[in-house]
Amino acid sequence: MSRPEFSAEHRDALQEVANIAMGEAGASLAKLLGAFVRLSVPRIQISDAALVPEALGTLLGPDRVVTAVRQSFLSRVQGEAIVLFGEAGCAEIADLMGYESALAPAERREVLLDIANMLVGACLGGLFRQFSLEPGFSAPSVLAENTPVEQLLGTDAFDWGPALLVEVNFSLESSAFASHLVILLPESSIDSMREVLDQLIATL
Amino acid sequence: MSTPVLIVDDSAMARKMLQRALPADWDVEVTHAANGHEAIEAYRAGKAAVMFLDLTMPDMDGYQVLETLRRENLDCFVVVVSADVQPLAQARVMELGAIGFVRKPVTAAKLAPILEEYGVR
Repeated sequence: MSRPEFSAEHRDALQEVANIAMGEAGASLAKLLGAFVRLSVPRIQISDAALVPEALGTLLGPDRVVTAVRQSFLSRVQGEAIVLFGEAGCAEIADLMGYESALAPAERREVLLDIANMLVGACLGGLFRQFSLEPGFSAPSVLAENTPVEQLLGTDAFDWGPALLVEVNFSLESSAFASHLVILLPESSIDSMREVLDQLIATL
Repeated sequence: MSTPVLIVDDSAMARKMLQRALPADWDVEVTHAANGHEAIEAYRAGKAAVMFLDLTMPDMDGYQVLETLRRENLDCFVVVVSADVQPLAQARVMELGAIGFVRKPVTAAKLAPILEEYGVR
């Protein structure tokens, strides 16, 4: 199958709308954790879905053992949002949130689901607002806990052909806590994404 | 004489949006830079009486540009243009010598008051 056409201009535009979208999400996270949040430069790549776990591993660098929350979104552009929390940062979450003692696994899961839901809502909401679209979201669910990122997605989980990945990350200056938000679009939505980007570019 | 204006952003689309948001009646000579290193180079070449500076860039980011400018005595007006809406981000860039902070996406209405206030146009 040929790769969907995604020009340098589309990539540049998507990177910028993703950058704008993550600003608000970062501010919400900063408020929640009472810390300054560093925003990353969004990264974009098109990959065969079967290679997505490998691509994620490369994007994440050394933070390979993760807890992952997934949420699907539905709009003219649809796909999956996955929030990955590195293991070291997860250990500090109780402290950051001001809990007196370590969190029980169920409590920790609850906190990570809340944070993921907030990041996905703010980021995807901000992204789609720029296209005048309003996505619907599924409830967030835990995809995996303390799992090496390469094992995160069974290849049949994303039987999509080519997929578009957008990765942004939020890290703290004073803590190991970091979260990566990965937006995955299946091939059919890559075309839709290109169309909405074309419309946005045409207004400039 | 036209005012040398430098637009610094890693995104070509963002640079284009910024250029379109400049006051229509402002006599400027615009230069673009795609990262901090290019920005410093253009500044040293006298191409930035006014600089519009993004914060999140690969290589050399906006904070590092501001720090470098300060070491070189900051002979230009810097307006930071960023999607980062944390109050602390704004406080930090003002502390580093920026005259204003504009939240992305940039519009003419957001830029005008800052440019008026400092009489840079």
